[in-house]
Amino acid sequence: MFRTYLKVAWRNLKVNRLFSVINILGLSIGLAVTLTLFIYIRHEQSFDTMYPNIDNIQRVLLHTDGDNGQEIWATVPPSLGPTMMTDVANVKYAARTLKNDFGGTASLRVLQQNFTENNLFWVDAELLHIFDIPFIKGQAKGALDRPNTAVLSETTAKKYFGTTDPIGKTFTVDGRYELEVTGVYKDFAKNSTLDCNIMASGITTGFFKKRSWNNASFETYCLLKPNTDLASTELQLQEMLNKNMEKENQWYTFSLQAMKDVHLFSSGYDNAYASRIGDIKEVRNLIYLALLILLIACINYMNLTTARSQKRAKEVGISKTLGSSSSSLIIRFYMETGLVTLISLVIGVLLTSAAMPIFNAIMGQDLSTDLLLNFEFLISLLAIWLVVTLISGLYPALYLSRFKPVIVLKSSVVQSKGNVFIRKGLVVFQFAASVVLIVGVLMISEQMDFIRNQKLGFDAENVVAISINGIKGTDKKDALVSELKGLGNVSSVSLTQGFPGMEVSGRSLSRNEDDKESLNIQTNVTDASVIDVLQLKLLAGRSLPIFKQEKDTLIEVVLNKKAVDYLGYTPDEAIGKTIFISVPNTIVGVVDDFNFASLHEPIGAYAFHNNTGERKSFALVRYKIAASSTTINELETIFKNVAPNTAFEYSFLDNNLEKLYARERRAAKVGFVFSMLAIFIACLGLFGLAAFVGEQRKKEIGIRKVLGASIMGITQMLSKDFVKLVFIAMLIAFPVAYWLMNKWLSNFAFHVDMSYSVFIIAGISALVIALFTISFQSVKAALSNPVKSLRTD
Amino acid sequence: MLLQLRNIFKWVQQGGQRIFLLKDINLEVQEGEFISIMGPSGSGKSTLLNVIGMLDTFDEGEYDFLSESVHTLKEKYRSNLYKEYIGFVFQSYHLLDDLTVEENLEMPLLYKKIKSSERKALVADMLDRFNIVGKKDLFPTQLSGGQQQLVGVARALIGKPKLILADEPTGNLNSQQSEEIMQLFKKLNEEEGVTIIQVTHSEKNAEYGSRIINLLDGRKI
Repeated sequence: MFRTYLKVAWRNLKVNRLFSVINILGLSIGLAVTLTLFIYIRHEQSFDTMYPNIDNIQRVLLHTDGDNGQEIWATVPPSLGPTMMTDVANVKYAARTLKNDFGGTASLRVLQQNFTENNLFWVDAELLHIFDIPFIKGQAKGALDRPNTAVLSETTAKKYFGTTDPIGKTFTVDGRYELEVTGVYKDFAKNSTLDCNIMASGITTGFFKKRSWNNASFETYCLLKPNTDLASTELQLQEMLNKNMEKENQWYTFSLQAMKDVHLFSSGYDNAYASRIGDIKEVRNLIYLALLILLIACINYMNLTTARSQKRAKEVGISKTLGSSSSSLIIRFYMETGLVTLISLVIGVLLTSAAMPIFNAIMGQDLSTDLLLNFEFLISLLAIWLVVTLISGLYPALYLSRFKPVIVLKSSVVQSKGNVFIRKGLVVFQFAASVVLIVGVLMISEQMDFIRNQKLGFDAENVVAISINGIKGTDKKDALVSELKGLGNVSSVSLTQGFPGMEVSGRSLSRNEDDKESLNIQTNVTDASVIDVLQLKLLAGRSLPIFKQEKDTLIEVVLNKKAVDYLGYTPDEAIGKTIFISVPNTIVGVVDDFNFASLHEPIGAYAFHNNTGERKSFALVRYKIAASSTTINELETIFKNVAPNTAFEYSFLDNNLEKLYARERRAAKVGFVFSMLAIFIACLGLFGLAAFVGEQRKKEIGIRKVLGASIMGITQMLSKDFVKLVFIAMLIAFPVAYWLMNKWLSNFAFHVDMSYSVFIIAGISALVIALFTISFQSVKAALSNPVKSLRTD
Repeated sequence: MLLQLRNIFKWVQQGGQRIFLLKDINLEVQEGEFISIMGPSGSGKSTLLNVIGMLDTFDEGEYDFLSESVHTLKEKYRSNLYKEYIGFVFQSYHLLDDLTVEENLEMPLLYKKIKSSERKALVADMLDRFNIVGKKDLFPTQLSGGQQQLVGVARALIGKPKLILADEPTGNLNSQQSEEIMQLFKKLNEEEGVTIIQVTHSEKNAEYGSRIINLLDGRKI
């Protein structure tokens, strides 16, 4: 029996070639999208699961009040780690990590050569035990116990030392620290949150030695004893804090975050050093999108199968009169569906492996399709097959098997209103989804354009930032500046701690020392030229003084307007006033507000100051005309002259700003690709449906033609119904799209307004695409010879 | 002369062989004639009717309709020609199920681009003439077969055609209904001078006509 069913199903597929191709094509694309995302999601969920202690590892978070409400930081003060290890009974180990230069790059000198290292972390020795990091050379135990020691990842060791055994060799970091290699560990897996290339013993630096309950810059992990109660541990943390800091000075509280949540549930947290941060929201959105596309493909199957039901009705009628029961018919139609979905699944898997490189390129991932051969995956494949078959086959099987033989055998027309209504509803759903996606894609690209063209209050174009961490001594830095200024194409040079688009030092601004109120302020140590280099608009006063004596304790500051507004001064009044940012500062100038952070955030307070206590890490160089490779070469030559032992590393300021919107740009790309696929599949369905309607209304078309209807008229008549559906879809889609996009735009403090044009363009494109799809079939139907359709047999 | 067919051939290719549907048909029809085409199943009656009605093409021969050579005309002009001068009546009525009686009658006028007021007048007139004013808002499925065919004839007539082509107009009707329809044809032919060509199996119905054409295997006998 089953073999007969299968044979009939196969023949049916072959006979109805158009419908089979549409169904299989749509379903395989839908499945390929789903499978690709399945692999991606599995990868995201697998983060950090390779660490044997994962269930007991926690990261300490810091909660504080920011300008925009509660903020959660992934970094905590340096005293927390060591103190919790001794004071909190449940904590077995705690380890601090600090990325070199608070998130910057490191300039290395290894075996007489210069390198730039992006992933050097200063850590406590306990980190190796918490994560149980496997070593290839040397051993984890004791590897980082002494100051001036470091361990390297396998790849890094090869990169810097080649084939020579690195153990016992030394290298220099930023011209400041001489480190001895005590071990080489296996590279961190692709799905590990920790991804240090070099781990250096933290106690080498002053930052780790100095006990402080401020300076929250240390990402701190701890290993709890098994079966520890988290709530009580958090309470103990609070008690520990109470012991060390007076209640009124406590500007934060602590909480613990399970290591297995770190990857996906940290996107809203500030200051984390880890670059491999996922976003559960993005993962969820992708799941919704994938399901939507799969659903659209399933709907195609339902629609096309029930639409053809008239042809099948006779067959059902005959089978029933021959004694077949409804349930055996249901099985039969399900077998047919199962066959279609199985073929689609196989093609879908092939498509997935073909499309993986594209997906990796868009998402900036490095996923492999090895997972496709995994046993667990094959099981889920089976599950996906069953679910898709069940969904797609549900309506056709139930609908077709219910036909009453007397009715279907008597008249040639079986058409219940309900059936048509459902089918139209499904088409409306498909198109509404497509329109929402089109609006989304348009809106995102409009916002990206807006970001690109937004006046930021400073000029990021033609500015190069050169890392000068490796250069020691003011005189050398000054020499670099003066040599750079000598270049013909350079208009100004400034040494700074950081530049717009990157975090500098967060402090609080108050009117005087006793002021209880304060405002968060970003402070950037720099010099007089910074206003020229960044092309800031000076509202009052002047820039920072050009010369500053070594021993001079007077700190001058240039504030932005936002800061001055908070203080209650006009720009002119502010000049000469003394205010308090950790220490007293004298205002010498006021600049207009500028977007020093991404456009997600409103403009906050900002200060350029000349407190020599902090390090300047960059030389910002402004060009007269756009920098070319020759000018970069000139820079490098000068840099090499001044600092022969330091790697030359530079970046363009405008490129750095672009990176702030990497996530959005990715969303735009993914959205675009997915929308195109969704629309394509929806159009496939529409194409099939139009073919069916042409077929179904054959008789009517024949009559109308005999009565004198023109081909144009018939085409219009057939298209009109579909156009109506597309319009209904738009009516549903527009409010949904408006709501969704409003939500998305509210992520940006600076954003475009929702414009009508986006909706009009989305509507027109949906209509044009639909019309184009339909017209092919409509014209074909209109051209058919009425004699054939009107024959009475 | 209304129309003239000269040496009309029509065939289909099947397995490298020509199967003739029409073979060397010659026919002249004068205005005001009432012709019955007869013959066994598959003899080419309907095909001939469709060729006359310009719904179907032929492979060889010449066809003049009101001194226009149909065989040289483009599709568009052909359809204008039959839209203007020919009305069709079918065995299974072929009324549009979604439209009321009144709307069914109005449809040919719509395609002739006749003004709304005039359409209304013509439809009202036709409803009146066929005594179906009371049924104007009903759908075809609510009518008996005879009544449906009455509407079918009325629809064929509403464009004031010179020629009515009827393909077994009474094939689906009982004898009493058949009689009524044939009487109606006769009256139209005699009183209004409408030319009628009908395909029929019934000797009795054929009697209503003034001339009988017998077909066998696509050939006139």
